[in-house]
Amino acid sequence: MIEYAVFFFFAAVAVIFALMVVLHRNPVVGALALVASFFALAVMYVLLEAPFLAALQVIVYAGAIMVLFLFVIMLLNLQKQREEPTRPLQQFLGYAGSAAFGIGLVYYLSKYAVMELPAGPFIADARTVGIRLFEAYIFPFEMVSILLLAAIVGALLLSGVRTEERT
Amino acid sequence: MDRTDVALEALKIAIVLGALLNVTPIMVWVERRGSAMIQDRLGPNRVGPFGLFQSLADAAKFFFKEDIVPAGANRWLYTIAPMFGLIPALTTIAVVPWGRPFVLRSGRVFEPIVADVNVGILVIFALASLSVYGIVTAGWSSNNKYSLFGGIRASAQMISYELSLTLAAISALMVAGSLRLTDVVWKQTGYFVLFGTIKLPAWNVLSPAMWLSFIVFTVSAFAETNRLPFDFAEAEAELVAGYHTEYSSMKFALFFMSEYIAMATMSALITTLFLGGWDIPWYNEPPTFVGFLLSAIAFLVKVSFLLFIFVWIRWTIPRLKYDILMRVGWKVFLPLAFVNIVLVAFFIARRWI
Repeated sequence: MIEYAVFFFFAAVAVIFALMVVLHRNPVVGALALVASFFALAVMYVLLEAPFLAALQVIVYAGAIMVLFLFVIMLLNLQKQREEPTRPLQQFLGYAGSAAFGIGLVYYLSKYAVMELPAGPFIADARTVGIRLFEAYIFPFEMVSILLLAAIVGALLLSGVRTEERT
Repeated sequence: MDRTDVALEALKIAIVLGALLNVTPIMVWVERRGSAMIQDRLGPNRVGPFGLFQSLADAAKFFFKEDIVPAGANRWLYTIAPMFGLIPALTTIAVVPWGRPFVLRSGRVFEPIVADVNVGILVIFALASLSVYGIVTAGWSSNNKYSLFGGIRASAQMISYELSLTLAAISALMVAGSLRLTDVVWKQTGYFVLFGTIKLPAWNVLSPAMWLSFIVFTVSAFAETNRLPFDFAEAEAELVAGYHTEYSSMKFALFFMSEYIAMATMSALITTLFLGGWDIPWYNEPPTFVGFLLSAIAFLVKVSFLLFIFVWIRWTIPRLKYDILMRVGWKVFLPLAFVNIVLVAFFIARRWI
């Protein structure tokens, strides 16, 4: 019973803050709202008996990535901006596309989502996740690392070109 | 989970929270007297014996100060920011074991830890990584350029040093083979035997593969808690008072508290990971109340010693330059932490530790 209460409370928190990310004019408030939403999502993982994933969710997304986002937003010192929509057609297509995606997602989830837990003990501790990652999912894992490496090389190239020009 | 369990759990929470909340006044006194000692001054010595009640007087003063919100500030975030800073600092201690478990008369085992979760260390890092938001939010919502600079510096510094902090902790976890902090402590209760005669306690700091990560972890802990020589978020010589320039009254006091509580938590973490936790060297604590009490005192002594080191270093080493901070973090400590992981892995593979 108490699990339901916790679930619905944090589900509401996650949705409300996610909406705030999209709707709020101020980018700093948006970033902080996204942190709150991530934290509520981590509570969902705890409810699913995956505290390892919950901790990783907070460390990686709320703790590292969003701090970087905030750093960039604050460094650019964005003021409140209110731009008039200049391209009405594109704006309409954007709304229509995201609405279609949302409806499709709800439809798919209500039709195909698994409502019952699979039988047997559910283990998602560090050891199990690590072994699965390095045995069954080694290929996607390596692909992701190559993608990240490419991003790092790209960032180095972008930041390195400017210093060459200066010297 | 019956009524006794709930009562015991409430008792543990009360002990831990009581200890943590009392850290601030005591540490403020230690800091002021310690700095006076180092600088050949007297320090606060008027209120109570040795000036011990000075902190209480200060706390009372904070309550009576006017609580100012700057006109251009973002009122909501400005109010939330101090709480954002304090809550992670207070909750982190929940997964740190602070004494040897003992058997109660009813046969129940009393584990002196609030929450013995199997991802203990990750919970600590998750909460520690959230603590930066208090500083960043405070810096931004004050609508003051010095505050903003403080917040920006804090976010860059914390990201940089969190990496080496985490990587240094990983080596301790590799040795213990578990993310659970009680396992890390139990692993350190044995002995290293040198030349078949000298018995050294099996604390990680004394292990041949681990002292490097102890150094990396301790220095990164100083940077994570924003203490001198790494307190660039405040840097009173450059940024007035950094992120809390605009804060007054109890809002400022909350920042003050979270700084000292974060220091205490970091000391507890260093103790647990590297200094054997509650282990008393060359003594086998019995699983009784006496053993628990002695081990808890040992834990307290180690944490107090580390807290004193925090004060000692603050008044000995001047603040670095910001570019040096960044260079040292990324080009010295991060590679050292990586090298250390490989070293520990090699030791474990050869079954030397």
